[in-house]
This record gives sequence, C-alpha cells and structure tokens, in this order.
Amino acid sequence: MKVDIASHPRLEQTLGALLHYGTIFASCVIASGLALSLDAGATGWRVATAGLVLFILLPVVRVAAMLILFLRAREYRFGAIAALVMSIMLLSFFLGTP
Amino acid sequence: MNGSLELWLFAVALGTSLLGGLLGMASGIFIVPILTIFGRIDLHTAVGASLISVIACSCAGAAPFLQDRLTNIRLAILLETATTFGALCGVFVAGLIPPKYLFVIFALILLLSAQQMAARRKEPPRAKLAGASDLDLGCAVQRLPLGMALMYGAGLISALLGIGSGVLKIPAMDTALRLPIKVSSATSNFMIGVTAAASAGAYFVRGEILTPVAAPIALGSVVGAVLGARILMKVPNDKLRLMFVCILVILSAQMMLAAFGINLIEAAP
Repeated sequence: MKVDIASHPRLEQTLGALLHYGTIFASCVIASGLALSLDAGATGWRVATAGLVLFILLPVVRVAAMLILFLRAREYRFGAIAALVMSIMLLSFFLGTP
Repeated sequence: MNGSLELWLFAVALGTSLLGGLLGMASGIFIVPILTIFGRIDLHTAVGASLISVIACSCAGAAPFLQDRLTNIRLAILLETATTFGALCGVFVAGLIPPKYLFVIFALILLLSAQQMAARRKEPPRAKLAGASDLDLGCAVQRLPLGMALMYGAGLISALLGIGSGVLKIPAMDTALRLPIKVSSATSNFMIGVTAAASAGAYFVRGEILTPVAAPIALGSVVGAVLGARILMKVPNDKLRLMFVCILVILSAQMMLAAFGINLIEAAP
C-alpha cells in the first residue's frame, strides 16, 4: 500500500504550523501567568495552569486535525486510526478522574 | 512567592532540553532524577512536570522536521495507537506501584539509556531512504507486531516515569521497522507529544501536575528545545556522548539508592 503524498502536500505544513503557533501561544500564556503570580498571586497561577492545559490539549488538537485532514483526503483508513488514537487519549483523561 | 525555585526549575528544564536535543533524546530522562535527587521533589510531582516538558519539547521541535518531510506522519499515527494505549495502562498502574519500585525501574531505564548511548547508533541494514511521507506497509508489515509491542511498552514506561521513552522507541524503529535514523528520530519526536499528553491529561485531572513546578519547567523546555535545534550540528559529539554515559550511570546509581531512601546529594534550591 503506497500513499501518494503529492495529492495533498499541505498535511505536513498544516500540522507544523499548528504545533508551532500552538507552542508559542501556550508558552506566552504560561509566561504571563508566572509574571502575574509575582504580583497577583492566585490569579497568576490560574493563568499559568490554563497555559499548562493548553500544552496538554495541543497534541489532542493535533490528532483531531489529522483526523479531519485524512477524511478530507478520503484516506478513511488513516482517519479511523486517528479517531482511535483520539478516543484512547480522551478515555485516559476521563478514566483518570478519581 | 520567592522566585528562586522557579528560576532553578526553569534552568534545569532549559539545560536538559538543550542537551537532550543535542543528543537526540528527550529531556524527561534527566528531569525526573534531577527534581527528585537535587530538588527533593515528590516522585509523582516530578513525573507530572516531566510529562509537560516532554510535550513542550515535542511540540516545539516538530515544525522543522515536518517542514523537511522527515516525519512519517502515517506511521506515527499508526504507532500512536499502541503508545497511547500503553500510556492509558501506565496511568492506572502508576497509582498502584509504590514509589520505591518506580525508582528501581527508573534506575534500570537509565542504565539501558547509558548502554544505548555508549554503543552508537548505526544506520539499520536495508534502511529505506524512501520519502518519509510514503508509508510502504508492504515492507514494514511483517515486523509491525513487534514494533507495536515495543511501542506499547514505550507508552507504558512513559506514563509511569514521565519520560519520552526514546530508549524503547529507538530499538523499535531501528530493529523492528528498519527506518533511517533521521526519519525515526523525527517520527519519534512527533509521537512522544501525543503519548505524553495521554498520560499528562490523566495526571492533571488527578491533581498531580502542580503549576508552580510544571509551569517553569514547560517554559524552560520550550526555550531549550528551540536553542538545541539551532546548534545541533556544531557540537563535537563524541566527548559529549561519553560525558552523558557517565552522568546516566551516576544518576542510575543514585536513583537505585533513592529506592531505599538514601540520598547522597545535598538539596539544591
């Protein structure tokens, strides 16, 4: 089974951009949270925590993006695999609840 | 708050991610021992923070690899079914294993890493230099079950110890799947973020990711990963390698002692 990449060369670029800007955004939120915590204490820590949540969600969003891109390219087999990975991740989050 | 702990954590994450990037391994394997041995931070807290560092390094480093088409994203998503499932299992087991045994497992993984670093990686025989993006399943499929089993183990260990588990992924990629080194490094880096996120989410929900520890670690990791990618080519590799073999062995010995409650090193911050 060979997959022809030439028909949709933007897959890599889209994922690369998502991870690049996602990292910058999450880092900025954490940095401003840490800066705020020097002054405002609890509020700052809450902002920093939100930044950490963004970091944890970034790979989930990446898998969701792959799911959409594979479906759009009519690669249903890989779309199904991406859906499986996403459900395992979400399952882990929910089962982690004490 | 006094900022000294945060600064120390930031510096540790920056340093380990930078050096980890130079050596092509994830920072997690250094962060947990440093936090527990020098920082006297509780093991579960250290593992939680380290998982955040692994995600940050993976996400921060992924874009250039994707741009160069070194990442095999189809193989990655396929193997991620095994790594995330391993992580899911690891999250459950982590709560049941006493920290004492986790220290022992960590010590063994450190030794294994030292051994892998000492025996430099060779290009696997018959490595296909075909474009990373096309997944020729016909070639890999016979060994795929072995690869998947190793990936499941990698996910499990990653969730237990808060590391990227490159130590298990690399043999899986090299021996079982026979990918060229550059492709397997890029693909592994792409995968560890998803693997770590699967367990980091559960750790977060359980309240085991403490913001004052994890936030400076995350920032330091991003900065370290970005700098590490810049200077990748300029450092003579052999001396660095030898130095790290020694550091890994020392950390392994200290982690083993820590399992029995002995800490020979003074607390740092």
